Amino acid sequence: MQQKPSLMTNGASHAEHALATPASITSDLLEKHATPASAFRWVALLCTVLVVLGVVGVVLRMSDGVSDKTVWGYYAALFVFILSTAQAAPMVAIATRLAKGHWRRPISRIAEMFTAVGVLNLLLFIPLLWVLPSLEDGRRSLWFFGNRDIPGYGYAPHLWATLALLFLVIGGIAMLWVSCLPDLAAIRDHSTGRRQRIARRMARGWQGTTRQWEMLDRRVGILGAYYFMMLVFVHFLISVDFAIALVPGWIDALFPATQAFTSLQGGAATVLLTMIVLRKAGYREYIELDQFWSLGKLLMAMSLLWFWFWFSSFNILWYGRKPNEQAVLDLFITGPYFWMFITTFMLNFVVPFFLMIWNPIRKSIWGPTLVASGVLIGTLLDRVRIYVAAFSIPGEDAAAHLLEQSPETVTPELADILIWAGGLGGVVLVFMLVARLVPVISIWEQTELLLYKVHKKFHRTEVLVLGKPE
Amino acid sequence: MQEHIQLTQKEINRELLRGIFVWPKWWFASVSFLILVFLVGAGAFGYMINKGVGVTGLNRPVFWGVYMVNFVFWIGISHAGIMISAILRLTQAEWRRPITRAAEVLTVFSLMGAMFAAALVHTGRPWRAYWVFPYDFSRGVWMNVRSPLIWDPSAVNTYLIASSLFVFVALLPDLAIVRDRSRGWVRVMYSFMCLGWRGTPRQWKLQAVAGILLSALVLPVFVSVHSIVSWDFAVQIGTEGWHSTIFAPYFIIGAIHSGVSAVVTVMVLMVWLWKWDNYLRPDHFDAIGRLLIVVATTWFFFFFLEWVFALYTLEGPEIALRELQIFDWPMSGLFGLFLATAFFIPVPLWLFKRVRRNLLLMFLTTLLVNVGMWLERFLIIVPALLRKSPMIFDWGTYRPSIIEIFMVTAVFAWVTLGMLIFSKVFPLLPLFDIKESMVGRDEIKIGRRTVPASIRE
Repeated sequence: MQQKPSLMTNGASHAEHALATPASITSDLLEKHATPASAFRWVALLCTVLVVLGVVGVVLRMSDGVSDKTVWGYYAALFVFILSTAQAAPMVAIATRLAKGHWRRPISRIAEMFTAVGVLNLLLFIPLLWVLPSLEDGRRSLWFFGNRDIPGYGYAPHLWATLALLFLVIGGIAMLWVSCLPDLAAIRDHSTGRRQRIARRMARGWQGTTRQWEMLDRRVGILGAYYFMMLVFVHFLISVDFAIALVPGWIDALFPATQAFTSLQGGAATVLLTMIVLRKAGYREYIELDQFWSLGKLLMAMSLLWFWFWFSSFNILWYGRKPNEQAVLDLFITGPYFWMFITTFMLNFVVPFFLMIWNPIRKSIWGPTLVASGVLIGTLLDRVRIYVAAFSIPGEDAAAHLLEQSPETVTPELADILIWAGGLGGVVLVFMLVARLVPVISIWEQTELLLYKVHKKFHRTEVLVLGKPE
Repeated sequence: MQEHIQLTQKEINRELLRGIFVWPKWWFASVSFLILVFLVGAGAFGYMINKGVGVTGLNRPVFWGVYMVNFVFWIGISHAGIMISAILRLTQAEWRRPITRAAEVLTVFSLMGAMFAAALVHTGRPWRAYWVFPYDFSRGVWMNVRSPLIWDPSAVNTYLIASSLFVFVALLPDLAIVRDRSRGWVRVMYSFMCLGWRGTPRQWKLQAVAGILLSALVLPVFVSVHSIVSWDFAVQIGTEGWHSTIFAPYFIIGAIHSGVSAVVTVMVLMVWLWKWDNYLRPDHFDAIGRLLIVVATTWFFFFFLEWVFALYTLEGPEIALRELQIFDWPMSGLFGLFLATAFFIPVPLWLFKRVRRNLLLMFLTTLLVNVGMWLERFLIIVPALLRKSPMIFDWGTYRPSIIEIFMVTAVFAWVTLGMLIFSKVFPLLPLFDIKESMVGRDEIKIGRRTVPASIRE
């Protein structure tokens, strides 16, 4: 579509550069999907190598056995990091769809595709079930509050946490699949051979009838709400049984909510970084300034909330001067992980807030990308700080009321580095595999936008009128 | 908004200024009654000052009773204005427009009510209220900045100033309209208040920028106020049930639950009393009802976390307190009533679109929420103090005296009275905002359907 110079906007592009007709958008995105960028194979190969290295790392770690949980701290941190970034990324699609923000359309599929990473994380979770000691060691648990007579006690927390994670992954993949149905039908109708066969099977007879569209709208909404609630619930279970319960004297009712919230920040940062990569990979005319600007504003708001969540906990633990709470602060903030905490504080709060407060930085492509990179590093360090520290507490202290002395800083070993490289490579690889199955930009959401967008004359200027369906 | 009614600017002026220029009988009757209730409360306050706080039910060990409950409750209600105005303005939610003014005004009067409940009444010695300010440099007496009771007035006063500014900036164009339609001393008064508003492009731009800036700046203040109120309790380690890290977010989300519900109650009253059903459509109730479901569910999650971690401590006194709250009469009855009214009755009902669009049901359910939220604060404050603790040699029960009941009622009367008087002096629906939405509104035809649309920059 030709750019109208008189269009009154406040700097937003409103995807004016995107192709103008549903047919041209469909054919362009299908072509991009069928012929990925030249670097695709090389990146996939690199990620595969990393995954292999990661498997070697896991084998090395397994060879140490599961009785000493201290050495598994970095492994647990990786699991929670993926839970807090890739598995939280779909919230960008869910929340913005709920708020009916049109700017979400080019990025909602990107966010939803990360639900598939849950499968990898579910596999990563399995060894942790053996590493986490049973409740026989006398430590506290969320479950049944120490009452061993209650049926099901023996399965806690291992079974319940696994089931919750499993249902999160299933719900996420179901949401991705449902939201891809129209695009799979488009692939079915415009391709041949194996691609067509796979698409036909996955599209489940999608014809685009009114009833099918209504069902799609409803199912995506319900599955989105379900995913959000399960994500929060999983964070609640993991944060309590894999962090709080391991540290004697750590009673922090806010921590599960803090971890769940900061994962939303991590999820937004993950989507932002993926957006910049996809811009380079040929989707420049779809992923524009609007998406970076809007997500950047969310990141700024979340950085303020990060501080508030942190301070709400810190203030109570610090002000009371209770010995058990002072010990917790020493372990996580002032003691062996002091510099890690300071870096997290800077990257998750200070830098995002004080950079993004400036219009030229917020309203740019490089600004939010830079901040998102920092947020991801900050989130990584934060999860390492919490989980490595929690796992480093000796097992015999589990039932104590107070941590007498903070353990030394645990540094990563070769196995940990390999596991982390494999885990991060695995996340990228899973995303790339999904990108071979479905288009990374939602075709139907892009074409739907054309229906809701009209240019109209308004006094002496021309304005954009955007429809908002109920 | 599918049920939009397009009105001319003249019609909007006529209908929305009716609140100022027409004097209905119910208004005089209500205001007279509320003044009477307020005066009774003021009399009770005078009596308490004269006789001392012994005339209340407060005694060892329950020093914080319904006055404190009232303070927390009204601070909570005051979160409505900023939630509705600032957040929905920043997110460009179109449906906010007819609601913002009433929500902001409710904020201001609630804050005044909270200050009356806390600063003047709760302290017991209001003539020393100025002690919270750095008043005496020569004597070297300084307020104890480490005390949450000093953080409170700083936060609440800042919030009151910011909220009043928020209301005032948004009022300017409407004040000019009232000025242009009045005569004599009334015109002089409005001319003075509207600061020479003429509606020039520069004035509109400044007004819009000021609104957005205030929205962004007031948000941290809004968060800090109830956080600090929660820390009045949470920083203490000697009282079971209070020392919890979750208190700040739990109080904030509870305040939003309570405040947004109060806004819905006011919205229904505006439709019933002023017949503004052309502006407050069932769509608005539907939208705010959906918002309430999200807010209430989040609140319930924090409530759940607070309880889980209270039991997780496995500490005898903490668990004994929880048993007192849920098993001992009358607390158990109040607890059941609180849960039913704050969550289990309203939220399942709001899931139905028909309920969300029914004014009477929305009125009743949102009233219920605030009954529940008042009880929630009562159940946080009073049972925790009732129990015998290691350093206390007295324990007993607490029953609010008639003096306390009069004063609590007086604060309710004050807020309602304030809203009613405001509605006679200023437009309770923002005329300029509604006109702007009428101008910027459009429709798009998609096949056989018509989709509501609006101009976007």
